[in-house]
Amino acid sequence: MRAYQDRKNLQKKAYYSDRFFKAPPVPRKDVSTDEIFANDLKHLKSLVKIKDSYIELDQLVVIIEPKDICKVMLSLKQELEYDFLSELSATDFLAKSNQFEIFYQLLSMSKRKRLRVKYMISQDQAIDSIMHIFKSADWAEREMFDMFGIVANNHTYLKRLLMPEDWVGYPLLKSYPLEGDEAAKWYEVDKIFGKEYRDIIGPEMRDSATINIKDTKNFARVKHEVPYGEKYSGKPTDFGNYQEDGGVPLISKFKKENSKELNSRK
Amino acid sequence: MAQHKVNYLQDAGLPVALTTVDKLVQWGRSNSLWALTYGLACCAIEMMASGASRYDFDRFGTIFRASPRQADLMVVAGTLTKKHAEFIKRLYDQMTEPKWVISMGSCANTGGMFNTYATVQGVDRVIPVDIYLPGCAPRPETLQYAVMMLQKQIRRESAFQKLKPKRLV
Amino acid sequence: MQTPNRLKPFYENLVFEKDDNRMIVNFGPQHPSAHGQLRLILELDGEQVVKAVPDVGYLHRGIEKMAENMIYNEFLPTTDRMDYIAASSNNYGFALAVERLLGIEDKIPRRAEIIRVMLLELNRIISHLFWLATHALDVGAMSIFLYCFREREFAMDLMEDYCGARLTHSSIRIGGVPLDLPKGWLEDLEKFIDKLPENIADYEGLLDKNRIWLMRLEQVGMLSKEDALNWGCSGPTLRGSGVAWDIRKEEPYSIYDELDFDVPVTDSCDSYGRYKLYMQEMRESAKILRQLIPMYKESSPEIVANVPEYISAPKEQLMTENFALMQHFVLVTQGMRPPVGEVYVATESPKGELGFYINSQGDPYPYRLKIRAPSFWHTSVLQEMLVGTYLADVVTIIGNLNIVFGEIDR
Repeated sequence: MRAYQDRKNLQKKAYYSDRFFKAPPVPRKDVSTDEIFANDLKHLKSLVKIKDSYIELDQLVVIIEPKDICKVMLSLKQELEYDFLSELSATDFLAKSNQFEIFYQLLSMSKRKRLRVKYMISQDQAIDSIMHIFKSADWAEREMFDMFGIVANNHTYLKRLLMPEDWVGYPLLKSYPLEGDEAAKWYEVDKIFGKEYRDIIGPEMRDSATINIKDTKNFARVKHEVPYGEKYSGKPTDFGNYQEDGGVPLISKFKKENSKELNSRK
Repeated sequence: MAQHKVNYLQDAGLPVALTTVDKLVQWGRSNSLWALTYGLACCAIEMMASGASRYDFDRFGTIFRASPRQADLMVVAGTLTKKHAEFIKRLYDQMTEPKWVISMGSCANTGGMFNTYATVQGVDRVIPVDIYLPGCAPRPETLQYAVMMLQKQIRRESAFQKLKPKRLV
Repeated sequence: MQTPNRLKPFYENLVFEKDDNRMIVNFGPQHPSAHGQLRLILELDGEQVVKAVPDVGYLHRGIEKMAENMIYNEFLPTTDRMDYIAASSNNYGFALAVERLLGIEDKIPRRAEIIRVMLLELNRIISHLFWLATHALDVGAMSIFLYCFREREFAMDLMEDYCGARLTHSSIRIGGVPLDLPKGWLEDLEKFIDKLPENIADYEGLLDKNRIWLMRLEQVGMLSKEDALNWGCSGPTLRGSGVAWDIRKEEPYSIYDELDFDVPVTDSCDSYGRYKLYMQEMRESAKILRQLIPMYKESSPEIVANVPEYISAPKEQLMTENFALMQHFVLVTQGMRPPVGEVYVATESPKGELGFYINSQGDPYPYRLKIRAPSFWHTSVLQEMLVGTYLADVVTIIGNLNIVFGEIDR
């Protein structure tokens, strides 16, 4: 029987977990401890339903419903002075609860406060684009689409940004292996040479720690080099010298006696 | 690194009988290698530093040219990604014979620390390489050492090789 | 996409001529002044750009996905390769984010903080010198390239004396710094900062009132204040449009609140203003470094935080005490387990606001690491900023925005 492989989360897992160890949570504070945040939250509560809110590490975190995002962003920008969108991305919780968590990180320069707006969506749900409110969300949503496959409605140009246009798969999902799936492995070979050359070029060499002493095509023994593909002879060579022994015409000859070892830099 | 069907043993390794014309032509070629600026990532900065004031590249007769038609040495400095692989092959094809390739840094040699989905594991999956230069990022002096090794290798070759141009496939 | 076959292997130029005299030009991923691998598809009407579509991703190496498979300490050298010009600032951003997540930010010893700020400001000088060198090279003033690289070599000598590497430092670790300053480093630093203002004055003398430089940089790359805020610009790009926001002053981290320095701001929203900002910022960094030297001499010699749950002990303890070695073994093979939660920390890198978002679920590997790279957001501004400029200005604007592709594509 082959070993069980969790298809939903192919990333590396800790090889040892103490059954009784539970990691402590990052300390959270109630919103009422900070005046500015309390006012902001009151304003937001009057607009939309807030599922949860707390202060974590001096930043307010507000959890809302996915459909209210445009209203919340507009209000934050125009009324509450959060005019700088620092960050916009998603986290893949498909293995745990079959949902994505989208977060927006905002900054208010006049109040010197940072705020995070989060919500959960299910796998096939699309989100509303906030491109018309913050222009910087343009590329951030394209990158989110590229990496996770999350579609943003009303986006003017939702195409892949970082991966090539004909890439198959969404790389940052937990179910996508780090080294790439079948399509990724042969992408450049198929694109440039064609499928027939897969056997000629051979598979990728992903194990960087293999060393084969007898392989003279991929490894060379310093100061005992042999031509490509031949057997090792063990004879010392002067391959690494700066110049050929007889010197080169019209180029000053390299004399080892004249070279000086410096004790300190200038 | 890939195992390709390249017949390297054709000329290399065996001492080739070089005529005076051969030696003259190869002396000229080796001392005026014009390099194509192919800086992709961090190693590009070290390549620029090796062309700058402290580690001057001009003393080798090397000038950095931007056009592949005017260059005969391609220094692949940096990570080659799968999105870019098509273009490096195209640029390599556009270079005129004789041409050589130095693969600079771990990322160009074998994909380096980026053992991921988007990195080509070694530039030699796509183009044939003459000199591999390890390091992350290799010092400018190391790059110049690699160029000196390449110069030595060029002087050992014969000038008018019946070229089957150097292709992997 | 044209598929190549045996008859027509590749298509040559990407020039389509339509009836309206507009030309589509590909400013390809390999270009001498593209600062890395930027592909811009420009639609030109004569010499003026009508539409510009930046195409990035040619250096996407999957760094964020790598982070989900590596322990926190193991990931630190990978952050070097993002903004590869000022590598220590990326290390510091990541280390600060993890330290805030762990809650040990106030346990970092003073000497470690001082060394960190020294490295950060030195990296700022290195980055700005590089910016000036490549920008001047693109615009045409090629001798500045050689002068700036000469200065940069001295600064990189200092970095090399400290951590052994010129470019990819990983000189800052989670919990402190790995090494103390070597003997004679402070004297070399003083020599460097004594010479720096004269050299900056040299470059300014060459460029400030130069007619060609003024003609090429003034009124080029206009970025109004609302646009800059809307597009998420930060750092000198934002301060060049009149917004006085520098994270070192507004949300100070490390020992920046004890240091006395100014932050230059201008409201000429063009490239010339931003050029003046960079020159002045170099002088301010030299001022900061000068203040740090006496502070270092009075600090006590610890350089790693004393939090055995998350951070390994310093080398002297490791090599002599058994428990320290056992804990170090566990931390290196398994990795530390931070608390469950999220953190977003923004620091002022030489390019702008570099932010790290870490979502941790208690595992030794981060569950999600998102890097907010300033150059990514600055490149998206190009869509709007390049419309209406001339083709020659495109090169100036790209150079002036100080973008580096390791960050954009990660």
